[in-house]
Amino acid sequence: MIRPLTPRRLLLTCAGLGGILLLVVFFSLKFGTRSISVTDLAVFLFRTATGRGDTAASDFRLIILDIRWPRILLAMIVGAALSVAGASFQALLRNPLADPYVLGVSSGAGLGSILTLIWAAEMPAATPFGAFAGAVLATSAVYLLGQRGGDLDSYALLLGGIITASFLSALIMFLMTTISGRELRGMAFWLMGDLSTPSPVPAGWLVLVLVLGSGAIYTTAADLNLLLSGEQEAMHLGVDVGRVKIVVYLGASVLTGLAVSVSGAVGYVGLMVPHLVRLLFGSDYRLLLPATALGGAIVVVLADTLARTVVAPTQLPVGAMTALVGAPVFIYLLRRRIA
Amino acid sequence: MGMMRRKKVPVPPALRWLAVVAVAAALPAFSQAGSPATMPAEPAARPQPVEYRDELGRRVVLRGTPQRIVSLAPSITETLFALNLGERVAGVTNYCDYPAEALTRPRVGGPINPDLEQIVSLHPDLVVATRSLNRQETVTALERLGMAVYTTDPRTVEEVVASTRRLGKLLGADARGEELAATLEERLADLAHRLAGHAPRRVFFVVWTDPIISTGPHTFLADALRHAGAESVVTTDQDWPHINIEEVLRQNPEYLVFSGTHPEDPQTLIAGLRKRAGWSSLEAVRAGHFAIVSDALSRPAPRIVDAIEDLARQLHPDLFPPPPTPAATPPSSRGGTR
Repeated sequence: MIRPLTPRRLLLTCAGLGGILLLVVFFSLKFGTRSISVTDLAVFLFRTATGRGDTAASDFRLIILDIRWPRILLAMIVGAALSVAGASFQALLRNPLADPYVLGVSSGAGLGSILTLIWAAEMPAATPFGAFAGAVLATSAVYLLGQRGGDLDSYALLLGGIITASFLSALIMFLMTTISGRELRGMAFWLMGDLSTPSPVPAGWLVLVLVLGSGAIYTTAADLNLLLSGEQEAMHLGVDVGRVKIVVYLGASVLTGLAVSVSGAVGYVGLMVPHLVRLLFGSDYRLLLPATALGGAIVVVLADTLARTVVAPTQLPVGAMTALVGAPVFIYLLRRRIA
Repeated sequence: MGMMRRKKVPVPPALRWLAVVAVAAALPAFSQAGSPATMPAEPAARPQPVEYRDELGRRVVLRGTPQRIVSLAPSITETLFALNLGERVAGVTNYCDYPAEALTRPRVGGPINPDLEQIVSLHPDLVVATRSLNRQETVTALERLGMAVYTTDPRTVEEVVASTRRLGKLLGADARGEELAATLEERLADLAHRLAGHAPRRVFFVVWTDPIISTGPHTFLADALRHAGAESVVTTDQDWPHINIEEVLRQNPEYLVFSGTHPEDPQTLIAGLRKRAGWSSLEAVRAGHFAIVSDALSRPAPRIVDAIEDLARQLHPDLFPPPPTPAATPPSSRGGTR
C-alpha cells in the first residue's frame, strides 16, 4: 500500500476515526444498568453543552456525568496509551508481535504499582511513578534478553518477554500472598485489567502525560519508518538511531506505566489495534500513531462497555474482554508469521 | 528510498494539530477533576445534617434517620434484618442470601466490585459497607458521588455485638439494637460459663480444600472458634493462609471444622477427604471428628452466636444437656441454614 501520506489524508483519517470515537462514546454513555433512551441522552448532552444541564433529574446527571463519563474517559486514555505503546514497541523491536502485555512491560508496571502501594500506602498519587519505573526496568530486561550476537532476535525477544512476564507475575503473586494488607484485596481484580475504580490521579494529568508521551514518540515517527527496514539502513539514511530508541523506549514505558497504574493489565490492546490500523491505513508511522491512539480509545471503550453491561449488575474486568478477542488475534498473527 | 528524505516535512503541522485537539480535550478534564462531584441543590425543608463517626473513624453526615439503605455485605444485610429494619433495605449484594426475604431486594453486584450505577439508581440515603469485605476504593467512589457511607469493622465476636448495637443506634432502632445485643451477650456469657475450666479442642478450620485454606489467629472467625471452646492449630500471621497438608498432619488437630459456605455439601466433601492421601491419615478423619456448622460462623452478624453455640455443642457434647426435643439434629436436617 504505497500511497503517499499527505496532510489531507492524515487529517481525513483522524477526523473519520474521531467521528467513530464520538459515536462509540455516545453509545457507551447510553448503555448501562440503568437504561437511558437515545433522545433523553441527546437532549441532556445538548443542554449540558449549552449550560442548561441542571434541569435534568439529579441521579440522571450523576449516572451520566459522574459514573459513566469518567470511566469512559479513563478507557479512552488507557486504550490510546496502550495502543501507541504497542505500535512503538513494534517499531523499536522490529517485531509485529510486540505489545506491552506480551513483553512483560505491563507486569513490570504492575509490580511497580504494587510495591509503591505497599511502601507508600498513604500516597496513592505515587503509583504511576512506580508503574513507570517498573515498566522501564521490564523493557530493559526484555531488551537485553532479546539480544543475540549484538542484534535483536525476534524469537529470543518474545521468549524473553514471556519469561519476564511470568517471572514478574510470580513476584506479584508472592507479594499478594505473603503481605496480609487488606488494601491489596482488590488487587486480583485489578491485575486482570479493571476500569471500575476511579484513578487516584485527576484525569487531566493523565491526559497531559498521554499527550506528552505520545507527542514525544510522534516526533520520531518519520525515523521509525526508516528504522523498520533495519538499524544499519536507518543509520545510513541519517537517522540518529540512538536518540530515537531512547525517546521511543522512554515514551512507550511512560505510556504503559500510565495505563497500568489506572487500569491494571489490560492485555492485547497494544497488539490488536496497531495491526488493524496497519491493515486499514498502511504502516506509515506518521499516520499510524495518531490513528492507533484513536483506534485504541475506540476498542477499549467498546470492551469496557461490554464488560460492565453483559452480566450487569455484576461487572467483568475489562482485561478479560480484551484478552478474549486479543489472544486469538495474537495466535493468528503468529501463525501467519511462521507460515 | 530517496523519497523518504522528506521525513521532516509533514510532522510539525500534524503535531500542532494533535496538540490542539489534546489541549481541547484536556481542559474540561482539568476543571472537572480534583473536586468531588457537585451535588444538586437540596430542597429547603429537610432535616439538619448530623455528623456521625463510623467504625473506621470516618465522618458520615446524615439528614434524618436513613430510610433507604443499601447493604454491601451479607453480614450487614443480616444485621439490618435482625434489627427489624428489613423494610428499609433498598439493595443488597449478589451474596446476600439470609434471611430469605433479602433475596427479594434489588441486587447491586458483588461486594468487591458493586455496580455504582445500580446503587445510585436505588436512591439510598445510606450505604453500609464493612471493612473486611469491601474495598476502600468503592467507599471513596460512592462518597465522590455524594452518598453517605457508613463502614463497620468488627474484628471479634464482642465487636460484632457492639457493632450491631451501634448500627441500631445510628438507624433509630436503639431499643431493638439494645435488646438484641443484650441477648447475644447473655448467650455468650452463658456459653463462656459452661466452657470455663475445660481445655479448648485443637481444631483445624477448613475454609477451602483445593488448595487448603484456613484462618489465621487475627480474624473474627478465629475469635468465634475461641468462643466455641476451640483453638485453631494455625498460628501464621496471615488472615487466610494456604496451608500445606504436611503441616496439618504435623499439628494433628482433634477436630476438623467445616462451615456451610463451601459450595459442595460438607458431607460429600468429607466422604472425599476420607479417601485422599494425607487427609486419610489424619487422626481426626479416622475418628470421624468432624464439626459442621452453618456459614453464619464466617459472617460477622448476630447469627454468628447461633453458629458458635452449635459448634460448642458438637465439640463439647458432654458439657451440654441433651437437646430438649427428641427429634435431635442429624447432620442431614441442617440443610435449612443457607
